[in-house]
Amino acid sequence: MRKYQVQATSSSPYINFDPDKMFFEIRGESYPENCWAFYSPMFDWFREFLGGINGAPVEIDMEIIYFNSSSSKTFMDFFEMLDEHASAGKNIVVNWRYHEENESAMECGEEFMEDVDTIRFNLVEYNDTVAA
Amino acid sequence: MKMSLFKYYEEMQGEGVILYFNGPVSQHMVESIAGLMRTKMRAEDTGMGSVQRVFAVLVEQMQNIVRYSSEQRTDSPERLGEMAHGQVVVGREKDGRFFVACGNRILADDSRSLASHLQLLQGMSKEELKAYYKEQRKLQGSGTFKGAGLGFVEMARKASCPLDYDIVPVDASTSFFSMKVVTQ
Repeated sequence: MRKYQVQATSSSPYINFDPDKMFFEIRGESYPENCWAFYSPMFDWFREFLGGINGAPVEIDMEIIYFNSSSSKTFMDFFEMLDEHASAGKNIVVNWRYHEENESAMECGEEFMEDVDTIRFNLVEYNDTVAA
Repeated sequence: MKMSLFKYYEEMQGEGVILYFNGPVSQHMVESIAGLMRTKMRAEDTGMGSVQRVFAVLVEQMQNIVRYSSEQRTDSPERLGEMAHGQVVVGREKDGRFFVACGNRILADDSRSLASHLQLLQGMSKEELKAYYKEQRKLQGSGTFKGAGLGFVEMARKASCPLDYDIVPVDASTSFFSMKVVTQ
């Protein structure tokens, strides 16, 4: 399967899904004008990808500085899709990364964690001294 | 000069206004204005929490204006090509808290459902708002107000007091909606 890559803009994140390296990251800001139009190709790609793997663990890094309410809904939909696949036996981990001073990103991560069922959802705090 | 801006300037100074915008609103304006306020507040060493809350409320309010307007155009083809138009104000209360206010024209027919949605939120505690937010977020094609429902809940959660709004009839089919959010 081909890589899925999208460059960042001021209102949408950098997305890098690399199936060969099994490396998946979403990084940046998220408040595009039409959230569903922006993320729907990403959903399609991931659904197809998950359909084609067997037991290989999938780890997704998400580092979102700010996201609007439409993105919040879209991320919840994304985690629910991942939950469904995890219930069907896939090994899926989401690392929700946030800067130690970004309280809002931490709280949002906690609220997502409370609402997911089967995937492993880690809160990963980082600071400026340890280069990411 | 017939139109003296000094009058507006003085009035806004008195109200603690930092930023005032009145005109066409697009996604590009949302990014510019919210980004500008974020840069300014950071430069003035405002706490990260305050900066984020003002940024978030600005984005939600302005995107509501853009989204509402585009829905109107979809509903009535004769308005195709029309741009969203609205007002945005950012300022500080006397006690130092930041506020963000927005105003735009809405269909008079939408007034009642908008008002009842906002009244529902006004009556909720922070804990109730959190539970309602999470519940709405999980609903598919939620029945909230014109897709803007979650945005209002988000703003109510970031506010230090209940959302303050006003709907004034303009003519038979139009009303003017304005809302002020005082952030924590």
